[in-house]
Amino acid sequence: MMKLKGKHTILSLVLFTFGFLIAVSYQHTKALLGEQASDQEWEKAFYYRQQLIQFEDNNYRLQQELDSIRQDILQLEAEIANQVDTIGSAVEKKTSLQALTGELPIQGPGIYITLKDNNFVPSEENINDYIVHDRHVQLVINELYSAGAEAIAINGQRIFSDSHVVCIGPVISIDGTQYPAPFVIEAIGNQEIMKESLELSNGVVDLLVNEHIEVELGKRQVIKMGARIG
Amino acid sequence: MWLPILFLMIGIALGFLTNITIPEYYSSYLSIAILAAIDTLLGGIKAHFTHVFEDRIFISGFFFNITLAVILTFIGDQLGVDLYLAAILAFGLRMFQNIAVIRRSILALYHEKRKKRRVIKGKS
Repeated sequence: MMKLKGKHTILSLVLFTFGFLIAVSYQHTKALLGEQASDQEWEKAFYYRQQLIQFEDNNYRLQQELDSIRQDILQLEAEIANQVDTIGSAVEKKTSLQALTGELPIQGPGIYITLKDNNFVPSEENINDYIVHDRHVQLVINELYSAGAEAIAINGQRIFSDSHVVCIGPVISIDGTQYPAPFVIEAIGNQEIMKESLELSNGVVDLLVNEHIEVELGKRQVIKMGARIG
Repeated sequence: MWLPILFLMIGIALGFLTNITIPEYYSSYLSIAILAAIDTLLGGIKAHFTHVFEDRIFISGFFFNITLAVILTFIGDQLGVDLYLAAILAFGLRMFQNIAVIRRSILALYHEKRKKRRVIKGKS
């Protein structure tokens, strides 16, 4: 019985040691695995950190690019603002020029001059000497332009840079449209200067009167002329 | 009979509770020691079945085998030769042999018991 007990004690001691060793080994292996796992995790973290750094780098670069582009845009905007100013003045100029050339309607103060055939024609005279000819109209128009007229119209039809005035028998054709006498020539511009230049001694009006044409001259505060059609 | 199992439990619990950490360098020593312990235990069981069990031989074999295995591994480490492989090989081989003997003995025991029962049944 005593021997059996001793045997059991020895077995107990051995098993105790054995269990202890196994437990320690198990724990150790587990810890080792954990370390490996943490190693892997560290590597992963490193990888992601690296990626993050790369992303941040990229972001920084892109931000810089963006900044420079924004600066460019600012410059361009300033330039455009300047250009808008010049364009504004250019547009104004163009509009006024268009009004002058007849591409736009125009209105303003001016004068009118009416040319009428003479009613009294002595029977021994040639009737041709007593009616209004194209040259009379051309004379008036040229004089008006010389005096600084901005726009001229005959019987409401505007005269352009390429207009023509010709005689067709008793009527006058202006750009293909025929008008009989009397002719009302309107001109927009400086009223005083135009009137003065027409009324010079030995000027246009004198000439016309000498050629037996009834002339009527006057001022008008508002004269309207349409734009060129077509 | 329950005393050894109780001590086994206590040993395992102690091993878990003490939370001993061994440098990685020595982990192979630990595994070799465990292998030696298992081998010795199996040897003891085999001795028990073959009726040659002796306390002193068992306990001295247990500690001596562990120590020897550890020393062998240490020398191998110092020389750069994987001597612990020899220990593993030897212990592994012996483990299988011992297990085989134990299995045979258990089978024989079982057989004998059945025979006996039959004899008793036949008698009654």
